[in-house]
Amino acid sequence: MTTTEKLKNILVEDLNLEELTPGDIDDDAPLFGEGLGLDSLDAVELVVIVQKHFGIEIRNMDEGRTAFQSIRSLAAYIDERLPVR
Amino acid sequence: MSAAGRIVIEGIGMVGSFGCGVSDFSRALADGGSRPASLAVSTGSGPIEIPAHLADTSPLSEFVPARTLRRIDRFSRLALLGSFLALRDAGLADTERRRLGLIVASGHGATGITYAFLESFIKDGDICASPTHFANSVHNSAAANISILSGIAGPCLTVSQFHLSVPSALATALRWLAEGRADRVLFAAVEELSELIGYAWYRRRGGAKSVPMTPLRTAEETAVPAEGAACLLLSRAEAARGGYCALGEAVTGSRPDDGFPLPDAGLLVLSADGRKDAGRRFAALARNARIACYTPLYGSMPAGPAFDLAAAALILKGGRIFPSPGDAALDFPATVPAGGELLGAPRVSCLTLGDGATFGLATLENP
Amino acid sequence: MTDAPVPITGMGCICAAGRTLPGCMESLFRGARAPAPPVRFASNHPVRYPVFEVPGFEGPPGLLRTSALGLHAAREALEDAGLDRETLRGMRVGVCVGTTVGCVLSDEGFCREHHAGRDPDMASFRRILHSNPAEAIAREFALSGPLQTVVNACSSGTDAVGIAGSWIRADLCDAAIAGGADELGRITYIGFISLMITDESPCKPFDRDRKGLNLGEGAAMLVLESERSRRRREKRARSFLLGYGSAGDAYHLTAPRPDGAGLRNAVAEALSSGGLTAGAIAFVNAHGTGTPDNDRVESRVLGDLLPGVPYHSTKGYTGHALGAAGAIEAVFTASCLARGMIPANAGFETPDPEIANPPVREATAVSGNAALSESLAFGGNNSVIVLGKG
Repeated sequence: MTTTEKLKNILVEDLNLEELTPGDIDDDAPLFGEGLGLDSLDAVELVVIVQKHFGIEIRNMDEGRTAFQSIRSLAAYIDERLPVR
Repeated sequence: MSAAGRIVIEGIGMVGSFGCGVSDFSRALADGGSRPASLAVSTGSGPIEIPAHLADTSPLSEFVPARTLRRIDRFSRLALLGSFLALRDAGLADTERRRLGLIVASGHGATGITYAFLESFIKDGDICASPTHFANSVHNSAAANISILSGIAGPCLTVSQFHLSVPSALATALRWLAEGRADRVLFAAVEELSELIGYAWYRRRGGAKSVPMTPLRTAEETAVPAEGAACLLLSRAEAARGGYCALGEAVTGSRPDDGFPLPDAGLLVLSADGRKDAGRRFAALARNARIACYTPLYGSMPAGPAFDLAAAALILKGGRIFPSPGDAALDFPATVPAGGELLGAPRVSCLTLGDGATFGLATLENP
Repeated sequence: MTDAPVPITGMGCICAAGRTLPGCMESLFRGARAPAPPVRFASNHPVRYPVFEVPGFEGPPGLLRTSALGLHAAREALEDAGLDRETLRGMRVGVCVGTTVGCVLSDEGFCREHHAGRDPDMASFRRILHSNPAEAIAREFALSGPLQTVVNACSSGTDAVGIAGSWIRADLCDAAIAGGADELGRITYIGFISLMITDESPCKPFDRDRKGLNLGEGAAMLVLESERSRRRREKRARSFLLGYGSAGDAYHLTAPRPDGAGLRNAVAEALSSGGLTAGAIAFVNAHGTGTPDNDRVESRVLGDLLPGVPYHSTKGYTGHALGAAGAIEAVFTASCLARGMIPANAGFETPDPEIANPPVREATAVSGNAALSESLAFGGNNSVIVLGKG
């Protein structure tokens, strides 16, 4: 499973986006505001999600903001930091 | 008291094991029907089931879209459902919510989500603690969710005084209305029966108890734990349209067991709920009074006295007393009307007891 | 409608800044502050965030630390008010206490055991049931008046003082012990870190480079007394509760409303209930936690409603003591009014271009007979009290 697919599954599950299926989420749609409609509390939850599922620590929101543009940007952020498999 | 200073109960919203809304609650009061379910609790010696009055929050989808509910915990859902029902029962328009205050009373608070928050870091380490769970576990999160979703921008308060939570919070609601801080106060008493509370109940009071409860057999332990929400829309008389009855006073304090003057009421509703520790004091204080007790319909919970208030409001509105379920078990001298008209003063007092010598008393009346 | 002033005849305080109110004030004006990673508990979080603990304080084993802190402050306040047990017996005395931790029915050790499939010892659960902060104080001093524990998150302490004032005005009691108490524990420590609003260094309220709050703990209590009772006892008022206002944001669980509408309403209600205008306010003890959002919204509202009125946050000396914060800041505010001087806003160094009206940089003389103390809570409640010079 690609990081993008994995992320979509985790988001639907951990953020209780019950009315969505992972397939409904567009790789490039903004996560916040219009788009997926997440907010500041979801943003800090995302930091924990990335830590818990990928073992990657996002130390502050300045870092987070760049990563959390879209599923694609977050997947790229994670892939850059994952240990080489 | 002049009409201008009077406080009336303009709307009622009920959620409990009896169902949802004033009609389900009235039906339960009239026919004495109560069917506790059971709650699964894991213990050191394996899973067990304990009898429990559980509530269904699914009707909330009528008021709030599923997407909005995604991170709202069960405690807040119970509170939200009761609140929306009370606002609808009173027919309160959105434009009337500007001068609306909000008070939430709960003895236990949001224990389910609190445990979930602890689990998040017990399982995965402190760095994986869930901020969403933490935010929802803050004691006033139900009040926050109600105010956000129903647009209440007046004063907001959450009170936790265990078994005195309801009369204590009610006293403050009356002060707010008397001072003109708000024209109306949405008063929401809420309790969630999470696994944590169920487990602690089992450890403190044992598991298998006979159901239904017989709280007027005050020397025995027959309590069945419960959850639910009882919400009252309290209004200054000059702002209200109709309503159930007037709310006279609400006090909390501490008095010795040898009694204190109870108001001259047509009926004294006891929040006796099968907990033996409080039962003896109820028997002493309500000796020879004309009493009723409806806790077998909704179970034992710190927010229970608000369910008594709703029952009292329905009695005053209809002028008729509901039979007390399990009244045959009375083990102290008192009169328990089997039903019929509310005689004497058009007034119903609700008595609740806390730890030690503490008590709470609220009086409802027909002007 | 203007409410009658309610005399405050006694005050007590315990927090990282000191174990008595005079001790705290001395320490504030000395500029002392020493946040450090927690000593009383450990965390496996990789960052050790500084906090403001009360060192060396231990309560009795059967009582939550929160309630023990509350009792400590209540003893000082009653002594200050000259109310011994004998005098109290003849009075109707209520207790109104704000807290966040004092009512949480969970204990980490208990939950860990249960989570692991074992049957935990019930002692910790019994301790919580025995420790309702208002009830613990009423029990200790055998008080018979109204009881209320306010759990309004970070505005609890301010609300408790405002509510007790209403009791006195309505003659529900002759006196009330009102304030707030909160201990610092792992659960809140980890929770605030998870929200990413804690600063890894000592907090810097209203500073351009502020990164968040430091948690604290403690308790403060005020004795509010009816004018009739105060006269009978020939006791001088240390201060007066002049006004109280509170209003919800109806906006978000953890973020303040950007336009500060709830806070504006609360300030307006507090002033009008005290029969005061902005011009009567000598200074403001701001909530000023040091989080980017709080300080931005709060300073903007202050600039609009109370332009030119000096303000400071004292959280740089105490940390954010949550449910106790409003009460701690109330007794600080009353003490500063009496002294005619407010301590510097500790931690403020670099002005924030977004904040046009910076807080006071150094201890500043203030003149006037009234001051305001603000608290903003999670869930969007905003509470404000106005205190008067004794």
